[in-house]
Amino acid sequence: MDKNLFSQIVFYCFAVVVVGSAAVVVFSRSLIRSAFALLFTFGGVAALYVYLGADFLAATQMVIYVGGILVLLLFGVMLTHKLYDLNLRGEAFQFLPALVLVLVVFSTLVFFMLRADWFSGGERAATPTTAAIGELLMRDFILPFEVASIFLLIALIGAALIVRRKSQ
Amino acid sequence: MIGLGHYLIISAALFSLGIMCVLTRKNAVNVLMGIELILNSANLNLVAFSKFSAGNIEGQIFSIFIIVVAAAEAAVALAIVLAMYRLIKSVNLDRADTLKG
Amino acid sequence: MNPQILLDLRQFYPELILTAALLCVIIGDLAFPRQRRSVTFFLSALGLALAFSFSLPLFSAPAGTLFFGVVALDPLAVFFKLFLILTSLFVLLAVPGCKEMPQKSLGEFHTLLLGVTLGMLLLASSMDMLMLYLSLEMVSLGSYIMVGYLKNNRQSNEASLKYLLFGAVATGAMLYGMTILYGLTGTTKLAGIREVLAAGITTGDNAVMLFIATILVLAGFGFKTAAVPFHFWCPDVYAGAATPVTAFLSVAPKAAGFAALIRFFFTGLSTSPVNADYWSQFSFINWQYVFIAVSILTMTFGNIAALRQSNMKRLLAYSSIAHAGYIFMGAVVLTSQGLQSILIYLITYLFMNLGAFFIVIEIFNRTDSFDLEDYRGIRRRSPFLSYAMAVFMFSLMGIPPLAGFWGKLYVFAAAVNGDLIWYAAIGALNSVIAVYYYARVIKTMLIDEGEGAARFSIPWTSYVLVWIMLLPTIGLMLFWNQIERITADSVKLFLGN
Repeated sequence: MDKNLFSQIVFYCFAVVVVGSAAVVVFSRSLIRSAFALLFTFGGVAALYVYLGADFLAATQMVIYVGGILVLLLFGVMLTHKLYDLNLRGEAFQFLPALVLVLVVFSTLVFFMLRADWFSGGERAATPTTAAIGELLMRDFILPFEVASIFLLIALIGAALIVRRKSQ
Repeated sequence: MIGLGHYLIISAALFSLGIMCVLTRKNAVNVLMGIELILNSANLNLVAFSKFSAGNIEGQIFSIFIIVVAAAEAAVALAIVLAMYRLIKSVNLDRADTLKG
Repeated sequence: MNPQILLDLRQFYPELILTAALLCVIIGDLAFPRQRRSVTFFLSALGLALAFSFSLPLFSAPAGTLFFGVVALDPLAVFFKLFLILTSLFVLLAVPGCKEMPQKSLGEFHTLLLGVTLGMLLLASSMDMLMLYLSLEMVSLGSYIMVGYLKNNRQSNEASLKYLLFGAVATGAMLYGMTILYGLTGTTKLAGIREVLAAGITTGDNAVMLFIATILVLAGFGFKTAAVPFHFWCPDVYAGAATPVTAFLSVAPKAAGFAALIRFFFTGLSTSPVNADYWSQFSFINWQYVFIAVSILTMTFGNIAALRQSNMKRLLAYSSIAHAGYIFMGAVVLTSQGLQSILIYLITYLFMNLGAFFIVIEIFNRTDSFDLEDYRGIRRRSPFLSYAMAVFMFSLMGIPPLAGFWGKLYVFAAAVNGDLIWYAAIGALNSVIAVYYYARVIKTMLIDEGEGAARFSIPWTSYVLVWIMLLPTIGLMLFWNQIERITADSVKLFLGN
């Protein structure tokens, strides 16, 4: 089979997986099913990153999103499942008006995004990105890099503080 | 050929679905999933633009930091949910909407 | 290491000091288990004071950007550094005297306070969308945790969850908008964005895309400054958090949010001809109207909602929403006078708002209540607290010659000079509406008769704190020249950028 055609077909498969599983996350009645569908969303997005030539980012996505955040979400679901209606708001939006609103948002976004004239800095060739990312992180973006470490420190202390049992 | 437009449509779909999730779901962990969808859509946008429009990888670096922030936020959110679960269980009462107005 | 980085570090002392203080507080908290409170408290206070004093000489540093264009250093940034550090210091001093806070385990609180302050300093000087997002999230995340600090309190817990979920959605939307801007301009730096936009790519469909992107970004800023329609979290969070945290939230992150908003719009999205006193926007979108709409909605909603409140914290929450509306007025007029009026308003707002909250803390310490009903007849139990509160309320109303009046005067004058007289009139009308609920507080405390008759015994530390807030509220106009000069200079050099 023609390589290009095959690649396109696989792309569409991944696209369907991403959007489909996201739909399951949103519309499913079971919390656990949503959490597992989210796994496929994250995985599908990682595959799309590979298509876009972002190899480092794809690996990071799998490791952190699937291996970290998703596991955390599953823990959260499992540990609080007895209290199923951990309700925040008695008055969440009704389903139908929300659906209409969201459809309007989606169509507006798609309509204008497809017609807009994006910046034309040239298409990037599919080269490995890790070295380039490393260089930028150590040079142009060194301040955000260091600040991110303090940020993570604060998040760590805060999360541990909130979850700690004894008030000591 | 797969072009920028395809990725933009996918990310717009993710964004819309994320907003839908946030608007209509009542469970806190569910809302968190919606938030993760929104953040992923932004990431996808950035990487797509980085490849097709911008000609640099600043977008990918931005994505890395967004992943970092998303992880920290999810951790803190779940910590708060767990603390709330413990409080409600011990009080043995109803829901978590004591704050009104 | 790149020599430029080493040079930039020399201009970065306040942030470095805060980071060092943060780390020392963490270590101190672990190393001194018995004297925990004192050690971390003094370390934090020392760190903040040092950071403040090291920020002062930065006024005369040459304006420019640091660390490869990610962060700016100009007098406007320095003004906000001083403002934010000062607010954190005052809140830090108020915490030991507050009954709500668990006095034995405050080490983490001090850590969070320092971390949020660091984030705010960066937020107020961000020149890159990445830095903007990261620092915004740093401030927000720290705030979420600070709000939920009273772990065993249901309301506090709920408040922090609501705050987090709402905030994450708002910043998520903001992020999506930022990605569109990246797509349109190929860069994440604000200065770069302006360059590309000035080169004229914005026609037709691009214009709409730009508009959508900016509306989304505005969602994030609206959330941080609690502007309508992104204010929904505000009353519940303010009511559920411990009062020092509420006081902090009502001033500092809001101001930092405004600083970032100013930078984003006036550095990234508008052309600024040198030597002109007026910013023009890219002409297809009139941001003025958007800001005017937001401002009027915010003021009006805040004032009207406050009319019905009987919980002091909620009342002050809605009042602070309304004040954000007045501050927006300074941003609307797009002149240097407008920008200067924002700075002046913020200075007055800092003292009068914190003062009101400190008194609320004191009264809670004695009566265990935030309800206005229980504020009746406080005049007999503590004349000092009731008269001080009256001063703060009058200032919030905008009665001359108190500080609040000057803030409002400047903002309204900027609007009038910008040919928006009807807009200033709406602001004035709102101030009149606000008089009702502020006056209600004064009346309840001074005139109504209450039950308890025992005199309050107020610790000297609280006296000192309230006086520190009281003096500028009463006497700020005496230093009018200096303040005007400093704020004008801050704005002028920013304009030149």
